[in-house]
Amino acid sequence: MVYAGPIILGFLLGFILGSRIRDNPESEMNFTTSVYIVFIIVAIVVAYFFGPFPWYTDSPFANGLISAAVGIIFGKLILGRKSIPIETEEE
Amino acid sequence: MSTILKLFAFPASLIIMCYGILTILGGHITPGGGFQGGAIIAGALIFCFIVYGLKKMPFHISHDFLAGLESVGALGFVFLGLAGLFASGFFMYNLGVDLYHIVPIDIRNLFDYPDPLHAGIIPYLNFVVGLKVLVGLSAVVYAFLEFKEYNGDEEVEEDKAEEED
Repeated sequence: MVYAGPIILGFLLGFILGSRIRDNPESEMNFTTSVYIVFIIVAIVVAYFFGPFPWYTDSPFANGLISAAVGIIFGKLILGRKSIPIETEEE
Repeated sequence: MSTILKLFAFPASLIIMCYGILTILGGHITPGGGFQGGAIIAGALIFCFIVYGLKKMPFHISHDFLAGLESVGALGFVFLGLAGLFASGFFMYNLGVDLYHIVPIDIRNLFDYPDPLHAGIIPYLNFVVGLKVLVGLSAVVYAFLEFKEYNGDEEVEEDKAEEED
């Protein structure tokens, strides 16, 4: 049985944080899809080594960490696709 | 900051955020909780603030966002406390656990946290405290950086004025 509590709350917090990720045109760094793929792989590995933290016995992964990572990705995809508007002198 | 650090900081901050969220979620049964988890998430944001600076930050942290998140945290805490007061007569009564068996079963089920311990409202309190702490700590650094930028602009203008004289 998978417990819904940590999955829902973890997703919510991740979604809030992920929704603030924006492509910044002023920055020379360009974070593409590959960054998020690496991030989700690393999150799965970290969750596996955490084990069923905090003492949930439902799965070999830390559910909260996985759902937070998924929430960040969903937040980025749904609300974080716009770029940060460049501030001009007139504004 | 160096390019290597700029390449590393954003993905690392995402992982640190996940770890902070995990700390918040385990707050009712492990060391840690809302404050510690919120501080870890704020640490991830501050990491990005320092590496990228305010203008080149990959997170769009605005004043409205910070104010909204902090308000949700504070109001959520007050709401959970008042819910206990109205339903049982005790402020911050743990409605999801209902140790004294004084609230209806529907209300108990409503505030029950679905995990093996059935910790009631404690994980929800951790959640809202986490929101407040993450905003509080990151807002301090945000304000300092904005002030520095504002002050820096003033200094540049003063230098230009001196050069013109």
